[in-house]
Amino acid sequence: MQVDLSPVLDPDFRYVLGVATLFAGLALGYLVGRVNERLLLALGVDDAVEGTSIERMAHDVGSSTVSLVARLTSWIIYVFAVLVALEVAQLTVQDAVWYPVVGFLPSVVIAVVVLFFGVIAGDKAELFVSERLRSVKVPEMSVVPKVVKYSVLFVAALVALSQVGVAIEALLVLLLAYVAALVVFTAVATHQLLTSAAAGVYLLLRQPYGIGDRVAIGEHEGIVQEVNVFVTRVEDNGREYLLPNHLVFERGVVLVRE
Amino acid sequence: MARPPELLEDVLDGIDALLVFSPSGAYYDRVKDVEGADVVVVATENAVGAETFVELPLAFDDVKERIRFGIEGALSEGAVEDGDELGCAAPLFGDGVDMVARTKVDESRHSGIYDLFANSRAEPGVIRDVFEVAIELGQKGQKGKPVGALFVVGDAGKVMNKSRPLSYNPFEKSHVHVGDPIVNVMLKEFSRLDGAFVISDSGKIVSAYRYLEPSAEGTDIPKGLGARHMAAGAITRDTTAVAIVLSESDGLVRAFKGGELVLELDPEEY
Repeated sequence: MQVDLSPVLDPDFRYVLGVATLFAGLALGYLVGRVNERLLLALGVDDAVEGTSIERMAHDVGSSTVSLVARLTSWIIYVFAVLVALEVAQLTVQDAVWYPVVGFLPSVVIAVVVLFFGVIAGDKAELFVSERLRSVKVPEMSVVPKVVKYSVLFVAALVALSQVGVAIEALLVLLLAYVAALVVFTAVATHQLLTSAAAGVYLLLRQPYGIGDRVAIGEHEGIVQEVNVFVTRVEDNGREYLLPNHLVFERGVVLVRE
Repeated sequence: MARPPELLEDVLDGIDALLVFSPSGAYYDRVKDVEGADVVVVATENAVGAETFVELPLAFDDVKERIRFGIEGALSEGAVEDGDELGCAAPLFGDGVDMVARTKVDESRHSGIYDLFANSRAEPGVIRDVFEVAIELGQKGQKGKPVGALFVVGDAGKVMNKSRPLSYNPFEKSHVHVGDPIVNVMLKEFSRLDGAFVISDSGKIVSAYRYLEPSAEGTDIPKGLGARHMAAGAITRDTTAVAIVLSESDGLVRAFKGGELVLELDPEEY
């Protein structure tokens, strides 16, 4: 911000220069805002944020996400223009109160942007997960999209807070504990599924037995009807057994040839 | 002087249920609270979130077929009963609903085509995909010449044990499913050779060139159909599979279940 103004000593000239800078800044801010809006529309951002809470909020105040972002960029440039103009006109006192504020501004802008994208990403994740779970008609499942959404929001908020220099160690510990719990629970809960899938990949690649073969896996003997990644379907006398593939490795498989 | 809508009043007068075919969301909102009749939505997917819904596995082009299928579906689902008077609203020329018809549920004309899709061992989507392949094959043939084909869908383990290979199986150790993008071309090429395609419950193509060896004893199919149809009828009597046959001589697609002919389609109409 410290501009070398020693050649320009005449205060009147400095005021004129300051006003010119101000107007140039305002014009630039307006132009950048408009170009930004066009750019966002061309990138299809308005479709991407359709149905998210930010878009709804913007709609309530009679605006849209795209124009809000464009407006925000314009205002940042306006503020900078005013500050630069004041500096040029040397109307500022040394060590004015806004120097630290101005130095702080980029972090704030980044924090706001991160938060903004966090909210949109959270909403999008929620929509995606709930769409995926639509066929699962269990009411308790409606909690899963919410958990996903708030997890994304939490991470976004952490990043934003660390940008503006707030102490977030405690929240970070919380996040780590949450992620660790998630990983441990998933590993424990899906342990059998994972081993079955690993065995299933081998079975699908090597095909030691195929559809129509008579096999015995564990105590079940019958004709193979289907092999997929997780289970082998074996049918015998009108009974179809769904045998998890990890059994094939644990108990072995007998190919029955008459 | 009567206004045109009044002339149609007696068509829909006293109906027990209204079958709405592939309605748009806005149309369904208008129709769902209609008084005096149950509303049954018949469509390829339940896009409007209807309470009573019958799934159409094929987009029947012939409205008569579509309505017949819808009625059978509604009957099987218990949405309508034998003897009910039905109103049907369906799209005929455009995409929106543009025709109404009235018909009566007659259980004796039940052909079992809804049963073929909904209550077969194989997944409905798999049967639909096989139908689509057979219909496409019937329309285009192989290099302009009509071809015949026999698909046995479901209960693949048992079918494999009741058949023997005519040649090397091109689908050995492969993981090709009906409905995969390139599979139509493959099936078209392999249909040039004789024998049946065996397809599992989940749609995996298990084998081509299978010679079916079921016991054909007591299989009763309409006279005039050839060996391919006889084999199809017999294998479905011996197993719980469904057989879909494209006839080389008359170009019709026929489906067999439980040893009986349940559906006959003309590929040219789709």
